[in-house]
Amino acid sequence: MRHGRRGRLPPHRPRAGRGRRGAGRRRWPGAGGAPRQPADDDGGPHPARPGSGRGRHLYATHCARCHAADRTGGVGRDLTDLDDFDRDTLVRVIDATMPAGRPTACAGACAERVGDYLWALRDGAPPPDVPPPPPVEPVDCADAPAALSPRRLRLLTRREYRNTVRDLLFPEAADLVDACPPHRFALAAADAPPGTATVHVAGSFNDWAGTVAGGGWPLARTADGWALERDLPPGRHRYKFVLDEQQWIADPANPDGEDDGFGGRNSVVEVDCGAGEAPVLPADPAADVPAETRPDAFPFDDHAASGRVTVRHLEAYLDAAEVLARAALERPGFAPCPTADCAADFVRTFGRRAFRRPPSPAEVDRYAALFVDHGAEAGLTALLSAPAFLYRSELGAPDGDGVWRLTPHEAASALSYFLWASMPDDALLAAADRGPIDRAAEAARLLADDRARAVVGDFALQWLGVDALRTAHKNPDLFPDFDAALRAAMLAETADFARHVVFDGSGRFADLLTADYTVGDARLAAFYGLDRAADGTLPYADAARAGVLGHASVLATYAHSDQTSPIRRGLFVRRRLLCQELPPPPPNAGGVPEVDPDATTRERFRQHTDDDFCRGCHQYIDGVGFGFERFDALGRWRDTEAGQPVDARGELNDLEGFGAGTQATYEGVHELAALLADSDAARDCFVRQTFRFAQGREDAADDACAVRDLRADFDAAGGDVRALLTAVAAHPSFVLRREAP
Amino acid sequence: MRRRTFLALTAGLPAALNLLGRPARAQAAPARRFLVFYFPDGVAGPSQDGQPSLWHPRGGLRDFELPAQLAPLDPLREHCVFLDGLSMGPTDAGSHPGGAKKLLTAVDGGNGESIDHVLARTVGADAPHRHVYLGVQANQNGASGDKHISYPSAGHSTPPEDDPVRAFERLFGGGVAPGLPAGDPAAEARIAARRSILDAHLADLNALRGKVGAAERSKLDLHTEALRDLERRLGGMAMEAPPPPAETCDAAPGSVGRVDRGALYAPELFPTLLRAQTDLMVQAMACGLTRVGVLQASHHTSELVMSRFADTEMYDPGYDMRSHQASHYGPRHDPAHREFAAYVQQRRYWVQRFADVIEALRARPEGDGTMLDYTVLLLCTEVCDGNTHLHDDMPFVLAGRGGGAIDTGRLLSFPGRRHGGLFASVAQAMGHRIDRFGDAGEAALPGLVGA
Repeated sequence: MRHGRRGRLPPHRPRAGRGRRGAGRRRWPGAGGAPRQPADDDGGPHPARPGSGRGRHLYATHCARCHAADRTGGVGRDLTDLDDFDRDTLVRVIDATMPAGRPTACAGACAERVGDYLWALRDGAPPPDVPPPPPVEPVDCADAPAALSPRRLRLLTRREYRNTVRDLLFPEAADLVDACPPHRFALAAADAPPGTATVHVAGSFNDWAGTVAGGGWPLARTADGWALERDLPPGRHRYKFVLDEQQWIADPANPDGEDDGFGGRNSVVEVDCGAGEAPVLPADPAADVPAETRPDAFPFDDHAASGRVTVRHLEAYLDAAEVLARAALERPGFAPCPTADCAADFVRTFGRRAFRRPPSPAEVDRYAALFVDHGAEAGLTALLSAPAFLYRSELGAPDGDGVWRLTPHEAASALSYFLWASMPDDALLAAADRGPIDRAAEAARLLADDRARAVVGDFALQWLGVDALRTAHKNPDLFPDFDAALRAAMLAETADFARHVVFDGSGRFADLLTADYTVGDARLAAFYGLDRAADGTLPYADAARAGVLGHASVLATYAHSDQTSPIRRGLFVRRRLLCQELPPPPPNAGGVPEVDPDATTRERFRQHTDDDFCRGCHQYIDGVGFGFERFDALGRWRDTEAGQPVDARGELNDLEGFGAGTQATYEGVHELAALLADSDAARDCFVRQTFRFAQGREDAADDACAVRDLRADFDAAGGDVRALLTAVAAHPSFVLRREAP
Repeated sequence: MRRRTFLALTAGLPAALNLLGRPARAQAAPARRFLVFYFPDGVAGPSQDGQPSLWHPRGGLRDFELPAQLAPLDPLREHCVFLDGLSMGPTDAGSHPGGAKKLLTAVDGGNGESIDHVLARTVGADAPHRHVYLGVQANQNGASGDKHISYPSAGHSTPPEDDPVRAFERLFGGGVAPGLPAGDPAAEARIAARRSILDAHLADLNALRGKVGAAERSKLDLHTEALRDLERRLGGMAMEAPPPPAETCDAAPGSVGRVDRGALYAPELFPTLLRAQTDLMVQAMACGLTRVGVLQASHHTSELVMSRFADTEMYDPGYDMRSHQASHYGPRHDPAHREFAAYVQQRRYWVQRFADVIEALRARPEGDGTMLDYTVLLLCTEVCDGNTHLHDDMPFVLAGRGGGAIDTGRLLSFPGRRHGGLFASVAQAMGHRIDRFGDAGEAALPGLVGA
């Protein structure tokens, strides 16, 4: 047997569970229709069927993007010439490696069908003796199987955990933790004698420690000196820097000082933040919980399959629960009286809110015993780190025909965590106690609360992927004003803008893309050079910025540290706004061209479109990104680049899907925004992103009908985002589950 | 006395009571350890136009030349085993994430438990922390799961801890009853309460188990394992040998004290952070807190601006040379090309940091030799050449003798063999016998471990 070009292949083996897909599904309730015909294409290997319509369809779905619809190759190799393959090797290569970067998307029977399709049509193959295949028919949603999320447990995200402990324990507290920023001590290298090895800070806050060993706070080396961030209590502090533990100097960068009583000066810092009401908690209760993890193509922090409790999580949950329990028990009247009956009552009432359902009798016994045997702190700690607290259950109850339906309490949590990222309130819990809840009505009620505003902001940051800006680095010489405050202002802009459009403005998705204003603080207004309007918004000064595409958070996230990136910005539009995934770069792809003072970005990236090999994918990427060239790597306006006027023309080919053959050109992001706002693909994508966020999983091909339902509701409401959120909550997919594997 | 102090400040004093009552196992051989050092974006291997690798040593079994990227290991070559020819298989070849998923799991798509967790659950299971996963800017830029290499359960990686101060507090913190003296009734009460809490949660999980399918059961398994770990720590940890007298086990390494927690993602502070995480890992191992560790420097397709590392040959404040950018150095090895020159310097930097780990272990006497003699170190990255992204001829280097199981100072070639075999061999060296590892079913590599 000959091998393909990719070297040794793994032994082919059947994959467990394959072939069972589709079993036990049913249509949406009320959809009716005839039982699904036994699919002729389910099951295992089958004889080659030249020109098979299914194989052709799968090829078009998974392969044509890189190998071209006529199989003559593009990014991928020419598949008409298969002289170096035999049929079985071809199938195994497809199974194990294709589509590039996502080999599981077409494995098993899919790989067999595509392989047979290609094998039958290869150059030199005998002509097929069957008539040409009929065109692929669109899915008929009236008779389609419902793709449902599995029955599962969803671990609270850190966002949900913080909100939940606030609403559960401290509903009246303004701030759970002290929001004061730490004070930053910094000493520039130029302000220290050459050869200085160590710097520490000594002051009234650490007893003027003359050495680090004696309690001084060491500053860390930075690119241009030394720095340290520390929390300081409210009040007036005096300090000096100590060089090499010998030489005491005042802070040269701090103009405030006073006589030190020894003929020199102390530097002075006033801290007034935090001087008001003491915060409830000493620190963010979720600070030690590891960050959520997720698959690369999934934008959100609530990926249900990835939410797992490792020992690091558990240590963090237990420690936080203890701190929370102590803080809660300081409130008068919170603790139960120390008898078994009181403890059981407390577990029944508090546990109903903590577990978001009435605790079972066994749970009441188990947790009441902890109160009795070990005290209220231990009992409360246990409840606040219990599996029923950390996971929200989506296990449901049997609903016939292999489908499960969330219980009223589970549905109430699904709703409140979707729209509030927090626990149900008393009204919602009470409704669930009575029976099935009216999800559309409850959604409308929840959307009127400030907690929904917070969620819409968080959704926007994750949907657009700009939360990555929190840890992004920018070249400090090119962008000296990119400090913590500006970073925070950029993120706040995008979150607050989404809230403004959805709740205070038109409410329409299109305005997220095309709005001629933004919102932000003074720092952001100065950064953009915008004046504030009477209503508090910041109208864009000209037409060149529009909606989120003009946000510095987006422009800076999808750029490098020192230069713009048409690739990242183009991929951002394709992946985040159009839900169009491209394969990863192939082996031997070139790198990012060097910054060249005499060449524009467009010139430097020309290879991507001059080279046939690159063009296959980059025709869909760079052309889109070029339209952002008015904005530098931090999102600042620029008129020229490399001494030439900026050319902000872009092209958006195949907007509605790869291979559609459409072409569109535009000038600047405002025109791009208009193209997107009018497109089917962008609206579909926004619906899909919302569906992913609500379901905590990737959408699959079988979800097309649910997406279509939601899209119809979204369109009927004129593209209103709140209407879409309500439709998602009211849709059957929100509460129906399938048996998990 | 020394040991009493140590335990009081590590696993938590009351937790140590049981241990102190046990007869000392003074004669036991030191425990074997496994430590992975990962760096991003491959090496300058065979070039796109067919020029030979600038990473893989050339020569005979014990008589070989180290190319420039490996030069920092030259003084330590008798402590290393250089490996040639191992492949991670064809799936996703050409992809960084595909390589990262296979790197420690040897299973396509990361759909298996990684070797570090296999060992943590077996030979590492007696240590207070079965597994320690430290990162340096490994969670930057909203890194998704495919950027992390350690898989506690099939298909799901976990993020490393990027903050050395938090890592120190977790590993060396005061346990359940910090600051309370041995036998203090308040400490005993706290331990009893914590134990009852864990018991209640275990009972909850058992009740849930019967209601869920296999996929969700794997979540509950991980959660249950975590509860049992904490329960075990409450019961007191047995150490096979006390920490060496010279070891500091009650204070953070000095490098941790120099960390600026407000700037965990500043590129110019990366070297300080890597030093801190390295020192912390070595100290945790020396103090008997863990036997299995993974150090992850940055993550694949890294935007780390390595040209901002002061006092290195890479330093160039006038230009941002990022790791991933340098890895796409062009079709051939061209020293005149800026990306290529930077790429080789960057690889040399990573190898030098691996050499630092070797030196740190070698500086600590243990048993008949040093800690290095009882440790297996693995140097790895997720692709071979960073420009071609191929997954063949992977640039693995081992160091340490694994308690005498590994004969070091050799160059071994395994053309066409899958890298799962390396992990089967490593497991054997660690005293955990598995015959095959990974989805290719590769057997232990002949001649790597044992006489």
